[in-house]
Amino acid sequence: MKKKDKITPFIILMLLPGVGFIVFFIGSSIVITVLQSLGFFNMMGESGFTLGYWKSILSSREAMDSLLFSLKMGILSSVGTVLVAFPLALFFRKSGPAKGMLGSIIKVPLFIPALVASFLILNLISYHGLINTTLMRLNIINEPLRMLNDSFGWGVITIQIWKNLPFVLLILMSAISSIRDDTIDAAKNLGAGYWSVLFRIYIPLAMPGILVAMILMFIRAFGDFPITSVAGPVYPSSVANRMQIMANLYQEWNQAAVLGVIIIVTTFFVVWAYSRFAELVQGGA
Amino acid sequence: MDKNKAMPLHLIKKRRKKNFYLMITLFFVIVQLLWVGIPIFMAIMWSLVNPNDAWSYPNLIPPSFSLEQWRYVFNYTNIARALKTSYTIAPLAVILSFLLSLPTSYILGRKNIPGKKIFMLVVLLPMIMPGMVVALFLSRVFNIMGLSQTFFGLVLAHTLMSMPYMIRVMTTSFASIPQDVIDAAENLGAGTFVKIKDIFLPMIRPGLIAGMIFAFTTSIEEFNLTFIIGTPTFETIPTILYSFMGYNFIRTNAAVVSLLMMTPNIIMLFIVERFLKSDYLSASLGKM
Repeated sequence: MKKKDKITPFIILMLLPGVGFIVFFIGSSIVITVLQSLGFFNMMGESGFTLGYWKSILSSREAMDSLLFSLKMGILSSVGTVLVAFPLALFFRKSGPAKGMLGSIIKVPLFIPALVASFLILNLISYHGLINTTLMRLNIINEPLRMLNDSFGWGVITIQIWKNLPFVLLILMSAISSIRDDTIDAAKNLGAGYWSVLFRIYIPLAMPGILVAMILMFIRAFGDFPITSVAGPVYPSSVANRMQIMANLYQEWNQAAVLGVIIIVTTFFVVWAYSRFAELVQGGA
Repeated sequence: MDKNKAMPLHLIKKRRKKNFYLMITLFFVIVQLLWVGIPIFMAIMWSLVNPNDAWSYPNLIPPSFSLEQWRYVFNYTNIARALKTSYTIAPLAVILSFLLSLPTSYILGRKNIPGKKIFMLVVLLPMIMPGMVVALFLSRVFNIMGLSQTFFGLVLAHTLMSMPYMIRVMTTSFASIPQDVIDAAENLGAGTFVKIKDIFLPMIRPGLIAGMIFAFTTSIEEFNLTFIIGTPTFETIPTILYSFMGYNFIRTNAAVVSLLMMTPNIIMLFIVERFLKSDYLSASLGKM
């Protein structure tokens, strides 16, 4: 056990450029968001405490639709990515031929920016895109399917899964690699089949990793701006889109701030819930 | 059938298992190649469309190829200027975030201070916070400070976004230096300067390179803050791509810009993969 170091003025001075810089800019933007949502800190006009902006956002149909849509995208993207990534992570557990090269290929989307990823996938799923053309040529469908800008948001989910698969895969792989072979051999010797090994060993023991992956994916998909604005439905837009339109187009900064506070609180709540849940999972195991 | 009977059962099982694994590997290889390859292939196709020989619905591949789209994008759009802006901001942001992160990473990596976990979480804030919220309300802060629509403001914003990666990766490398080495150097009479020059800098170099590459790609990809704080005075590659994909959707232009943006990134990915331990990849992504 290392001894605790005391916080000396020297240490504070050393932490200031890094931690201080981040706290100053992120902290001040959070403070301004909260204050503006309550009617303070207006650039023009008068400032003063009011809950009116909260009332008007909470009673606005459009804002609530956007909020529900973003929640849906967050949940479905995180569940979808983990479902696709988990079998791959199991496959990568044991090294084998061609897996090194495969590992590099699979990581490519990690370094492809979200906007470029949207464009790449858009070429495939658009109305006259590759998938529709191929399916029609094979006479599987008569009418092109609407997968882009569809009202449900499948286009957004597809892009989120494609872009974030390697990121989630890396987290799941490190979670699975910490499961020891002994445990699995022991279970097999005691007569466990493939499915019971999967459901009783791999999934419970990888649970902390699965949770981290799902939380990080949810945060990304929930607060997303570029992907939804390219591939999302015409109505409703994502929360981040609605907030940006309100602020920059209608100059309704206070109402935008209310949406901002809702996004921040949701994000922090999810992170907090994760840390509580992780304690429970680790305590139970 | 007869051949199988001659073999002991466990050998048959073993061979079946081996074949099964081979089949699965082959399956994943093909799926992966299609999964990553086809989208990139389609973008290349779209960037090579010949404007005089249209590529339309029933064809899976353009009828003829030309470099006309590349010429058009470079001659008639702001891409050259955006490339210059992007590639001037990125190195500046990398240097600034390195200088700001270095002392913090040293403390977080080497000292066992109270509240270290909280500091490590705070450092991740730019990564965790939803980008658009930070962008919009940071633009208010920047307005007050007179930094909106300025080049320096953009560099600061990009620095902010790349710092979590830089600090995480450098903290890991500082933490991995064995205390023995430092003690030995001190016993042999090394001063602070010698310790920095001969121990810390050489030993954190791989982490430093990884951190710099992550910071660089973060800056090149940064969209939300640049879009709010920089447009319309400054255009970077992502904001240009956004305009090509939004109100004036021109698929061929978007294809050219997409390729321009992702090719350097993919090359850097392979550099990271080849020369550095993959630990840095997971360290930068942060197991929270």
